Order: sequence, then C-alpha cells, then structure tokens
Amino acid sequence: MKVVTGVVGNDIHVVANRLIDLSLRARGFEVFNLGVNTYLEEFFDAAVETGAEILLISSLNGEAEGWGREVKLLKAKYKDLDNLIMMIGGNLVVGSGSAEDIVPKYKNYGFDLVCHQVDLNTGLDSLEEFIQQRNKK
Amino acid sequence: MSQQDNTLLIDVGSTYFKVSNQDSIEQYFRDFNKDILDDLLHRCGDTIQSFDKDDVYICSSANGGLNTLIIGVSNTYSLKYATNIAFNSGINIIDTILYQNIEEYSVPSDLVDVVIIVGGIDSCTGMFTDNLYSYLAKLSYSNIVFVGSEQDAPIIKEKISNLVILPNVIDNKLHIVEDYLKEYLTNLYQQDIEGKEDIKNLYDITANRIYPTPYIVNKALPEIDARYSVVNPFILLDIGGATTDIHYSKDLVDENIVTKNEFDRLVFKKLGVFKSKQSLIFTAKNNEFVYELLMHLKVTENIFNEQSQKATKILMQLAIFLVLCKISHYKKAYINLKLLTINSFVLTGGITKVLTKEEIENIIAFFYKKILTSGHRPVVVLDSNYDIWTLGLKGD
Repeated sequence: MKVVTGVVGNDIHVVANRLIDLSLRARGFEVFNLGVNTYLEEFFDAAVETGAEILLISSLNGEAEGWGREVKLLKAKYKDLDNLIMMIGGNLVVGSGSAEDIVPKYKNYGFDLVCHQVDLNTGLDSLEEFIQQRNKK
Repeated sequence: MSQQDNTLLIDVGSTYFKVSNQDSIEQYFRDFNKDILDDLLHRCGDTIQSFDKDDVYICSSANGGLNTLIIGVSNTYSLKYATNIAFNSGINIIDTILYQNIEEYSVPSDLVDVVIIVGGIDSCTGMFTDNLYSYLAKLSYSNIVFVGSEQDAPIIKEKISNLVILPNVIDNKLHIVEDYLKEYLTNLYQQDIEGKEDIKNLYDITANRIYPTPYIVNKALPEIDARYSVVNPFILLDIGGATTDIHYSKDLVDENIVTKNEFDRLVFKKLGVFKSKQSLIFTAKNNEFVYELLMHLKVTENIFNEQSQKATKILMQLAIFLVLCKISHYKKAYINLKLLTINSFVLTGGITKVLTKEEIENIIAFFYKKILTSGHRPVVVLDSNYDIWTLGLKGD
C-alpha cells in the first residue's frame, strides 16, 4: 500500500521522519516521504498524485495542534480522498496533555488514528490492524 | 557597449526595437502601422544593410508568444511543475485548470496554442475521466501534450487525436523532470515565432535563428558577474510594454521544486506600461497602498490620465511596486520570494532609459518599509546598455 508521510508545519524533526520512513518500508509499504516543514495542502496533493491510500502525518513540537484544525476543511475540497486513511502521531500538544483528552480532539479534526507519545512500532501495528479491519468490511 | 566583434544584435519587443553594434546601442519606439521589417529598415536601414546576414542576430518577444492552458490534478505538483517549466521555456501566457473542478471552468473562446495535461506518478492510473474529454471537445487548440502517468498515456491517446506523449514531469519521488516538456515547448515557441509573418520577414536580414528574448535573458544570468557586480541572490526585473518578466535566483524560494537551473522565470502578463497600461492602472487602483505611494511620489491619481514623460515614469514606478507586492507574502501568488534575503535588484528593458537609479531605489525602499516593515536595502543595478541581452544573444 502507498503511504504519504512527512512532518507538518514549521517542524524540522528529521530523525523521527526518517525512522517512520524506514519502519514503513520494512513493513512493506510504498512510502512517499515529503520530509520536514510540510504544509497540509502538500500532503493532500501528494496523496492525489501518488494514489496513496494512507496519509501519516507526524509532529514533534506541537505544531499539529494548529494545523489539525484545518484538516477537515481542506480535505473537504478534494473530491477523491474520502477513503484516505488519516493517521497522525508524535507529540501532539504544546506542553503536556493526556491521551484521553488529545485523541478525541484529533479524531474530531478528521484523523482515523491518533498516536500521542506512542512508540513507533506500536503505532504502526495499530495502522496495520486498522487496515485489516477496514478490509474485512 | 560591450560588444567587441562585428555583429549586429537586434531585439524586437512589443513596444521598442533595440539595435546594438560594436559602436552604439539604439532604441526605437515601434510604429505599429508598419510591418516590423519595414519599420526596422526605415529607422536604421543603413546600419542593417552594412552587415552581412551571418552577422545579424535577432531575438523577439513581440506578438505575445504562446497561449498555454495547463490541466493538472494538484496545485502543489502537477500544475506547479508544468507552470514552472512553461515559464522557463519562455512562455508568457499561462492559464491553469485544477482537474477535479474542470466542470466549473469556462471554456476559453480564443484558440489555445498548446494544452498541457499532467497528473499522477507513473504507477498511478485512472487520473482522468470523461470530464476531460468533454472539456477538450469544447476547446479550440492547436497542440496538445500529455506529460502525466505513463500508464494513463495510452488510454488518453486513444481518445485525443494529435496527442503528443512525453515522459512524465513528476518522477516516482514526486520530483520535477523538466527536460522533455521544456524542449517541446521551446521548440513550439520557436516555430510560433518563426511562423509569424512579421517575424518571418526578418529572415531577409539574418541568416541566424531568431530566439525568444526571455530565453536569451535567462541564458545570460549565470554569466551576469562578467558585466556587473551583482551579489547573489538577485532578481532581474524586465518591465516591458506588454508584460513584466522576473528572473530570480533559486535561493529565493523555499519550494518543493528541485531543478538543475540556477534561475527561474515568472511573468505577469498584464503589467506593462504601454500595451497593458490600462490593466496596470486597474491593478494599481485595487492596491490599498498605491494612493500612499502616489502621495510619496508627490502626484495624484490624475496622473493616470496624463500622457507625458512624467506619467510614464510614475507608471514604471508603480509597476515595480506592484510586481514586488505580487511576489511577496502580501499577495499569495504562484510563488513568494524571500525578499528580505535579496542582495541585488537588476533592472533591464525600457525602464532603464526612463527611471534613474535613485527613483528606483526610492520605490524599493517604500515597498520594504510599507509591506515588509523592514529597512533592508538591496543594491540596485541598471542594465542601461542592455548588456544582459547582449551577453545572452552573443553567447548563443
């Protein structure tokens, strides 16, 4: 399956981005890595150009909190992205916060999978599980 | 004049001719009631006749260039990449359609010289549907080229006659591939220029290929240090009668486009001081800072109705300001340049004959203060002797 990934907003955490890229490839995904400092429109446009089924956004410095609010509005402008699996992971708040508060907030922003301060492999396991569940339907 | 050998260089613009030999450089306002060749011979026939056809080199930006329509599936990749390639191929007039909304776009009534269809990496298929063919059926065009997914190419080829298929402009890492489309468009532009009756006649006085002027200017930029002390990064503004061309160092953009060229080109097709004067005034009146700028220049908006040297000067100053607005964060456009990191502004074209260095510096300072709230002052370099054009034309 094709995955578009990258770090959203003004965030240069390239090491995490590289680890996500390597881990996805190791699990057999075809990865389109947009790198750091990526704007939301670039993510969606890359999904259109590549025909990706998954969009995995990472954020390490809390930038996602601002950008996340725009996701639903922007995605609604695209006519063929209804089935795109939307995942976000990393450190999703500025300062500290509990997953109980953060996960519902991001799901409300339009993400199917939200991994706040979750180990990378655990996060990717949940992605594969989500895909399996969706395929069963 | 920097020319050393015995050649005659001629640039045919939409408003002026420039004629340069080893002794002098002259500029003539075009007589639009005359054929270009007749006008040229009338103005400087003796000079032209004194040169062998092999020693006359001509470039032209007259007659508008190719009218291009790009249909792409995303703004960030297909449309942006194809637009970038088209500008760098010397094309001025570009309209774009985001494919998913194609049904909402009106169909241009004028003949489109070239339609470019682009979208999807090579492993993608089914990017285009019947909506594309319905739109194209209503459109009049001379040439059509597909530069999208190789898997879609044969399907589209079946439905569209005369379709030219070239390698994808987007590679599998979502990077730009310029060469094939650039070569195709440059050749098409070339044929277009050579096919225009007015230009065709110019082969009576030259045995050399007639090039598009933007191509010549862009080619000279890597050598610009040979003529001027220009500090990178810089932008070059060519404010002409019909359009304003900007050539800029790639260091000035934070873009997802990684190309081999050191410089990119951008055109504002309705910002000129002669043929596009009315649209320049219209754009000016819609800019909230322009009235303040007019006050700064100690004139009122009545200057727009005047026909004088002073009015032309003001229009040129406005053109500089409006162009800078269009490439700054103030107006989100095709591209926003990092204007605070610019070290030099190079100006070429007719503007160098009308405005002084101080007058240009005055406008640039106003722009930086008002729009960027900065005291940054890039160095202004005037290409008054058309050395850049000479350099490009001679270098070919």
